[in-house]
Amino acid sequence: MLLHVNAGDELPIYRQIVRQVADSIAGGRIKPGDQLPSHRDLAAQLVIAPLTVKKAYDELEREGLIETQRGRGTFVRERPPATVAAESRERLREAARRLLTQAALCGVPFEDVVRVLEEAKEKTTERTDS
Amino acid sequence: MNALDFEGIRRAYRKGRDVLDGVTFSVAPGQVVGLLGKNGAGKTTLIRIAMGMIEPQGGQVRLFGLDPRQDPIEVKRRVGYVSEEQILPPFLSIRDAFDLHRRLFPTWDADLARDLSEGFELPLGSRIRTLSKGQARRVALVCAVAHRPELLLLDEPASGLDPAARREFLETSIRLLNETGSSILFSSHYMTDVERMADRIVMIHGGKVLVDRGLDDLRERFSLAIVPRTPGLAGDRIRSLAACVSVRERGDAFHAVLRLEPGEARASLARELGVVEAACKAIALEDLFVELAGGRP
Repeated sequence: MLLHVNAGDELPIYRQIVRQVADSIAGGRIKPGDQLPSHRDLAAQLVIAPLTVKKAYDELEREGLIETQRGRGTFVRERPPATVAAESRERLREAARRLLTQAALCGVPFEDVVRVLEEAKEKTTERTDS
Repeated sequence: MNALDFEGIRRAYRKGRDVLDGVTFSVAPGQVVGLLGKNGAGKTTLIRIAMGMIEPQGGQVRLFGLDPRQDPIEVKRRVGYVSEEQILPPFLSIRDAFDLHRRLFPTWDADLARDLSEGFELPLGSRIRTLSKGQARRVALVCAVAHRPELLLLDEPASGLDPAARREFLETSIRLLNETGSSILFSSHYMTDVERMADRIVMIHGGKVLVDRGLDDLRERFSLAIVPRTPGLAGDRIRSLAACVSVRERGDAFHAVLRLEPGEARASLARELGVVEAACKAIALEDLFVELAGGRP
């Protein structure tokens, strides 16, 4: 898993880490049981404050994606539990609205948006398989 | 106990004009606080007051509960300091400067000093006065961190350095945070550095603390509203909103910083002022600085 952060981005750095780790889990680039770098190592590697890494990991833990085992480290959870359904639904709706706005601005009809989604799905599955 | 406490600090320069007019904030153990403010806002003065180099005319400063003017040695042993100015004796070689510090600081970590000087490729035999600005600043940094201080005070440490040297400064500070759990107070005009390092932002403006907030809180709970100018909408009406921090006139629009998330900001402008076509977005640190520095009397 290659993380990178961009200071000055619209998203705060800890959010960037949360998003990239979540994406890596969703895309199968990191798998259940895989270990994440320690706070210190990741802080040194990304040149950011260790507390920022802690904040990102806390958030990922709250979302049920990773777990910290005392004395052993931080791992991707075996079976990410279904997060609060309504909340994840709402997040998805929000992303869908953004996608449709983007499509409307580019003049892409709805059927083509569906096709784009299907292509993206194939890509995600390929990554999971490899 | 806090690493650093400023309480009601006052200090005037230039005939009764207050530079600092009652500044109060603290740095908790392990915390990294980014000190922001325009040139002349008093950041350097404040850091020098913490170092005991300048005496405040009002209020008090405490480091680990100690007064830096009463217990200068005890305080200095637990503090590291790097400023924009070159303060090391120019006639010493780098090696002698390190030796001097090793004798002054019982906790001097020679391995760390060696490790950092190798990383920085410092010519140990060269005299301080023959060094480039970047090299001299690196020597100052080694001197400031090799005794593993509990509190690091950095006054514009990166000014005038190239991006690679700036990055080394950040890496070294993060190493100190990682290995020693030190607290850091640093002033900088490089907002991306602030964003990488700081947990909390303190912004000094008009001699007082204008903002004292968690960095992420600032980034996620504040927004910039760009409000088109229309007849009958004066800046004062926006300023009258309880959540309004600053307003700046820019061409055909007002730029307002609001203490609200973008969605709430939009709703509040519509509800309170009947403004519906405002664009509200999360605010980057650099924009926040520009807006606050320019949008306050």
